[in-house]
Amino acid sequence: MSLRSAVAHRNLLYLLSLKELRTRYKKSVLGWAWSLLNPLTQMAIFSVIFLYVFKAEPPTGDPSGIKNFPLYFLSGALPFNFFSISVGVAIGSVQGGAGLIKKVQFPHEHLVFSVIVAQFVTLLIELVVLTVALLIAGNMVLPWLPSLLFILGMMALFTTGVALALSAANVFYHDVNYLWGILSQILFYATPIIYNPATIEVSALRWVANYGPTGSFITAIHNVVYDLRMPGTGRLVQLFVMSFGTFFVGSWVFNKLSPRFAEEM
Amino acid sequence: MTDLALEVDHLTKTFRLHHEKANSIKQLVAGKGRNRYNDFVALNDVSFEVKEGEVFGVIGHNGSGKSTLLKCMAGILQPNSGSVRVHKRMSALLELGAGFHPELSGRDNVFLNAAILGMTRRDIAARFDDIVEFSGLQSFIDSPVKTYSSGMYVRLAFAVAINVDPRLLIIDEILAVGDVTFQQRCLEKFVEFRNEGRTIVLVTHAMNTVKDMCDRAIWLSHGVITGEGDPSELVEQYTEQMLGNLSRNADGSVRRGSGEIQITSVELFVNGGDTPVKRFRTGDSIQLRLRYHTEKSIPRPVFAITIEQLGGSTVTAPCTRDVGIIPESLNGDGVVDIALADVPLLPGTFDVHTAITDFNRSHIYDNLHLALRFDVMTGHPYEFGGVVTLKPGWRID
Repeated sequence: MSLRSAVAHRNLLYLLSLKELRTRYKKSVLGWAWSLLNPLTQMAIFSVIFLYVFKAEPPTGDPSGIKNFPLYFLSGALPFNFFSISVGVAIGSVQGGAGLIKKVQFPHEHLVFSVIVAQFVTLLIELVVLTVALLIAGNMVLPWLPSLLFILGMMALFTTGVALALSAANVFYHDVNYLWGILSQILFYATPIIYNPATIEVSALRWVANYGPTGSFITAIHNVVYDLRMPGTGRLVQLFVMSFGTFFVGSWVFNKLSPRFAEEM
Repeated sequence: MTDLALEVDHLTKTFRLHHEKANSIKQLVAGKGRNRYNDFVALNDVSFEVKEGEVFGVIGHNGSGKSTLLKCMAGILQPNSGSVRVHKRMSALLELGAGFHPELSGRDNVFLNAAILGMTRRDIAARFDDIVEFSGLQSFIDSPVKTYSSGMYVRLAFAVAINVDPRLLIIDEILAVGDVTFQQRCLEKFVEFRNEGRTIVLVTHAMNTVKDMCDRAIWLSHGVITGEGDPSELVEQYTEQMLGNLSRNADGSVRRGSGEIQITSVELFVNGGDTPVKRFRTGDSIQLRLRYHTEKSIPRPVFAITIEQLGGSTVTAPCTRDVGIIPESLNGDGVVDIALADVPLLPGTFDVHTAITDFNRSHIYDNLHLALRFDVMTGHPYEFGGVVTLKPGWRID
């Protein structure tokens, strides 16, 4: 089982994650600033479009009362990017690990785990910046950080599950890699990041934004950092079941396929 | 009963060779979900055991299934049927430095590579100094490995691999890397491992290594074991089969090579005598006389002889290039004399092989295996054991 392997090989996991982090911004002048520049640019673009082109009303935090589109955007986009980038990088990491997989016996899932850990560390750094911004905007988010971490933990589990399944499938059919590029775009727009789900009039679309896999996570995160309230119990149960379910299915698929990696690569 | 280190039990591995591999979903769908393929049997019902403390060789030509067997033993490939049981802590060296990251420092790579090979952090920390010392890269250890030469890279990788402290070491051809000094150190390390009673499985083309190092060997051919047992005999059989153009002579010698120039006879003379003999005593001076014949002019030939102890260990293997005696060309018939003064060989039976090659020693004109067999009888000095005497000057105060 994958979790047990993660614990048993925690040293390998630690060193592989460290490698991910250390080698990411080698040879770049701005280094880690890049990890923030990307979402900030996104934020600027979407804020202009949302506020000035579409002249839309930013969502109002309930009960916090905050009304700030850039912060609404960032609190959704940062966790979503964690999810979509992690899966994309994990797919490449398993494919790129061919040299290792063909020559050394080691638990392959750590190629995926290490990506998730490294991306999660990046997310946490980004969230520190977001927290400061929220505090400046008058949203007293500090008491809600433990709840945020709890939701993010589940999201990391969910992300790991998706990454395990897709990175394993990609070894056999490289289409998965390209498919993910498209799928993650669809998911981005199906998730309430650049819009307020309450304003959607078509009920099916509103349901997807609220309860779709990523939509539900982002809504819960909006609840704790933007609205400053706990998500509903139903949503928490949904997230809990979904994250563990996805993780176990993903692990199962990966364990099923990984013995054939060396042969297939 | 000795413990087993490794058991390979009825191992079969087939590969599916796709005529046109569907690597995308579209191809899979367009091909009506069907793929044309052949099954290729890489290993067919292979069984053997390796005892603890044994040095075990695996030989075979390219494509014989050696690498597949190795990967199955290392747990990289899953067999279709049969099993591999590993009873000792194993380290498989299929490629040195697999997983090194060029941007990371030598130090970081040591930790990462050792973790991939299954070491805990405490083990690595405890052995880090040994690893660096063995690699000889103390002053480079904090530089990124992309700045290393290929030799340095391999040295560091080998140092890590060897310090995993395996009880069972599986090695694939890696003796062939690095410079001579490094190869020598690897060899020393293997001998040290062997003497410590560790088990080594060696997959190699280097027949001399198999003969010198291994206690037992198997010969793989087209996925099945065609021979098992004494390495010297096995290597002999293997070499004979490998050399398609060899011819066996009436006197038991075996000739191969392109044949433009050939050795026609090899004779042995003792102490300036002029009748050929087959035996002499320790301490005698001898002369080996090779006669050659060519049909056309051969540019810059190199003559070489190998004197082997019965059983296969090479005692000496001089050639004319070593001493810079290179005729511009040879034509017709002639004689090559090799004088050996005060021969220090101790009593035993020895074989002489001869070879004529081009200057680069890559093209073999003529190779006469078992050209001459001679016996050495007791002479002066006399020693009970060993192959040669170094004429020791003893003194006890």
